[in-house]
Amino acid sequence: MENSIKIDKVSRRNKIIAKVFVYFFLVLFAVIILIPFYWMVLTSVKSMQDLTVTPPILFLPFDRWRLDNFQSALNAAPYLIFMRNTVIVSFLSTVGTIFTTIFAAFAFSRLNFKGRDTLFMILLSSMMIPGEMFVITNFITVSDLGWLGSNNVSQTYGDALKALSLPFMTSIFYIFFLRQTFRQIPNELYYAAKVDGTSDFKYLWRIMVPIAKPTIITIIILNAMGTWNAYIWPNLVTDNVNFRLVTNGLRTAYNQLSGQVIYNEQMAAALIVTLPLLIVFFLLKKYIMRGVSRSGIKG
Amino acid sequence: MLEEKNNLKAWLYLSPALVLLAVFTFYPLFNAFYLVFLKDFNYLLREFDGYTLLGNFSYVVRNPNFKQAMINTFFIVFVSVPVSVMIALFVSVALNSIKKLQGFFQTIYFLPYVTNAIAVGMAFAFIFHQDYGLINTFLGWFNVNPINWVGTGASWGNAMFSLLVYTIWGGLAFKIMIFLSGLQSIDKQYYDAARVDSTPRRRVFTKITVPLLSPMILYIVITSFIGAFKAYATVVGMFGVGLGPAGNPKSMITMVALVYDALEHTGSIGAISEAAAASIILFSITLLFTIIQMWVSKKRVHY
Amino acid sequence: MEIKLQNLTKVFQAKDKTETIAVNSLDITIPAGKLIGLLGPSGCGKSTTLYMIAGLLKPTEGKIFFGDEDVTEKAPEDRGIGLVFQNYALYPHMTVRQNIMFPLENLKVPKAEAMVRAQEMADLVGIGELMDRKPKQLSGGQQQRVAIARALVKKPRVLLLDEPLSNLDARLRLQTREEIKRIQRETGITTIFVTHDQEEAMSISDEIVLMEVGFKRQVGIPQDVYDMPENLFSAKFLGTPPINLFEGSIKEGKVTLFGGVIEKTKAKDIESCWIGIRPEGFLVDKEGPLELHIDMVETIGRDTSLVIKDEKNNTRSFRVIVDSSNRILPGDKVKFSVKPSKLFLFDKVTGEKLG
Repeated sequence: MENSIKIDKVSRRNKIIAKVFVYFFLVLFAVIILIPFYWMVLTSVKSMQDLTVTPPILFLPFDRWRLDNFQSALNAAPYLIFMRNTVIVSFLSTVGTIFTTIFAAFAFSRLNFKGRDTLFMILLSSMMIPGEMFVITNFITVSDLGWLGSNNVSQTYGDALKALSLPFMTSIFYIFFLRQTFRQIPNELYYAAKVDGTSDFKYLWRIMVPIAKPTIITIIILNAMGTWNAYIWPNLVTDNVNFRLVTNGLRTAYNQLSGQVIYNEQMAAALIVTLPLLIVFFLLKKYIMRGVSRSGIKG
Repeated sequence: MLEEKNNLKAWLYLSPALVLLAVFTFYPLFNAFYLVFLKDFNYLLREFDGYTLLGNFSYVVRNPNFKQAMINTFFIVFVSVPVSVMIALFVSVALNSIKKLQGFFQTIYFLPYVTNAIAVGMAFAFIFHQDYGLINTFLGWFNVNPINWVGTGASWGNAMFSLLVYTIWGGLAFKIMIFLSGLQSIDKQYYDAARVDSTPRRRVFTKITVPLLSPMILYIVITSFIGAFKAYATVVGMFGVGLGPAGNPKSMITMVALVYDALEHTGSIGAISEAAAASIILFSITLLFTIIQMWVSKKRVHY
Repeated sequence: MEIKLQNLTKVFQAKDKTETIAVNSLDITIPAGKLIGLLGPSGCGKSTTLYMIAGLLKPTEGKIFFGDEDVTEKAPEDRGIGLVFQNYALYPHMTVRQNIMFPLENLKVPKAEAMVRAQEMADLVGIGELMDRKPKQLSGGQQQRVAIARALVKKPRVLLLDEPLSNLDARLRLQTREEIKRIQRETGITTIFVTHDQEEAMSISDEIVLMEVGFKRQVGIPQDVYDMPENLFSAKFLGTPPINLFEGSIKEGKVTLFGGVIEKTKAKDIESCWIGIRPEGFLVDKEGPLELHIDMVETIGRDTSLVIKDEKNNTRSFRVIVDSSNRILPGDKVKFSVKPSKLFLFDKVTGEKLG
């Protein structure tokens, strides 16, 4: 009896030590994750004097924070124009994606047609193919369509928007993702609607889409985030600085290989690009995290 | 009625997606295999000088950057994937073992997923700055002299180390998320049974958690391998379009960068075909690795 | 509205081209204004039959008439049917009111009228105060009522119910089945419901249709089917505890079991046949022809259930239910006679009733 109480005490103490250790580890890891963000913010508010000190200042008192780096970042490149472009392209590609995805997912989950499974398998297996294989021809295609401008005609804004958004107006992955959600809707709902004379089109928009709303919101957010982070394609198809999207705009604004990089201004610019994303994340955390964990999407 | 085939209607519903996919996914796929066999393809004039079976592949292979790109890519793949999978596994197991603040930590750990690769790459470049960077400050506390990680003339090893740190950091969020949801779906009764048998912690981890999580681990490993083979934006984020520290350009070049490099010079003869060849090589390698992993996992994964 | 199924057949074809006959040449006439139970074990084709009546499945062969009208080729929405599903199939994102009004929307009923009709229907099924709730906020029984209200709101000619009670707990089931009976009486609508639960079917149906592997086995008033099974399947499927079956023979018009002559019959002599005796068909009778060795005794209130080992086959035992006023102990040897009305003879090959 005595002994078992002793063991109990020891094991409880061990448990507490283990708990403390786990929390310590998690906090440490959280710090590691947050450091780049902290460094970005800290650097962006440092004056040139505070920046060029060795060893660097790790904690800057609030009264020495400088916001003029943001002003000079905005002067160095038109971030507000980049953002406007990005918002427009996001909107176009998201609206396109949502419509094409909803219709296709409906066909795959609800309609019976010849070759359905074969077609679905082909689509699924093509998800494995790296996008780089498509980029080459897509570049030629948009250039043939005249959307990149030519030797004597420069690219118009409309052309740029088309070139930036059209190739991204559908996604096999989202079709697959939404089809999974659609398939979870019991067949009986469809039968019940049929008995009441509901057309397929009405059933899709009145019943399926509202039920799948969380998934559709997740798709909208991830797609918009994808546009915000897109670098390669916008870089290929836009030359005019006013047509750039935020990410490639940021990179081209600070592309010096050597010489004096103005780090505080650069970090201010990086923060301008990062902040809207973080705000969206904190507002719609639920949809983003649930969507990602459920589906394993790599954005 | 219900079991009737609705061919016309179905294709109508599919058509918007299929038209876009045909133009921007399937046609490009086949076209890549066509372009790669054109000899001296002049993109601007759309002329070519007959066909060649391996000519464009040999162009890619003989490209002075090819070897470097292969080395870098394989380095990124074989270091960053195992390390980040291991870290993610430990972190998610730790995270799963607590109740209080779990959501809070989860949110923080998810942040790298929603950030911009270029912007954060720039931040990392500055963290590794020789004079004003955080890493050297930290090392200074242990009397280590400042190291030139990513500055002008930085060595390949230093630059690669910095790139790997950034790559691993960036890849953790997604993996932790997937592992955590996998862990949460493991039936608690296995752990209760283990506790009744007073199984030590480490054995619980290796004998219960890892086997039951193995489908998730396989999924993560495969997707991470494919993702790591396509590393590019991280390099551009940290080193700019020079793809390397100043004074040592292209030292961080990757396989994907070969494709885009060729596309940057569409005017020069054969560049498009060279890009196609590079993309096909990339595709073949990722496909090969996926097949190998599937094959290996057949024996190792417990469903 | 009388419903007539004529030679109704449904063949399903699997991907590998193998065919399954789910419903086999069904001929049934369902009288107007009655509540009919389609009863059978799972896979007997009862749901397929219901879905064909609803128009959700197309018959491979045969015809369906509503009154004199051939509806075989008609779309579900043109048949004037209301359908209630096992899992209720309520639209989860809509309130009760929106759910009930949804069918009227398709019929282009003006909104004001639709509101009134939905409320009337909700009051009829007793959920009038729950109109603004979402399905998730309702109990199973309440959801069931919403589903019935939604099916009835467009004033269908026929109400079809697919396993309407199977998702409810025992107490609610009892209450709901009375409710269904009441609603059916009040509306006078011809109602067909599908179930695998004999008690459910027996308790509320005006008539039951017993089905097995796609065939109709027997049609009739529930008690009649129980009292006069036309074949082995009917006898076996109805009754709890189930009917006891023995191998026996008929010689010179006498039925012999365990060496005793238990009954006279007009049936022809047969070497071997099935003798079915309902558990309540045994009478304790000192003069009785059957002497049985009692193995176990379970007295539950009014009845005593005796478990008796089959003499011919020691691994099998059968059950006898007698009045609990009989004091019987395990190990006793008791003499029984058999009530003629509880004894049935079936052909061993065809399962058809003999005599």
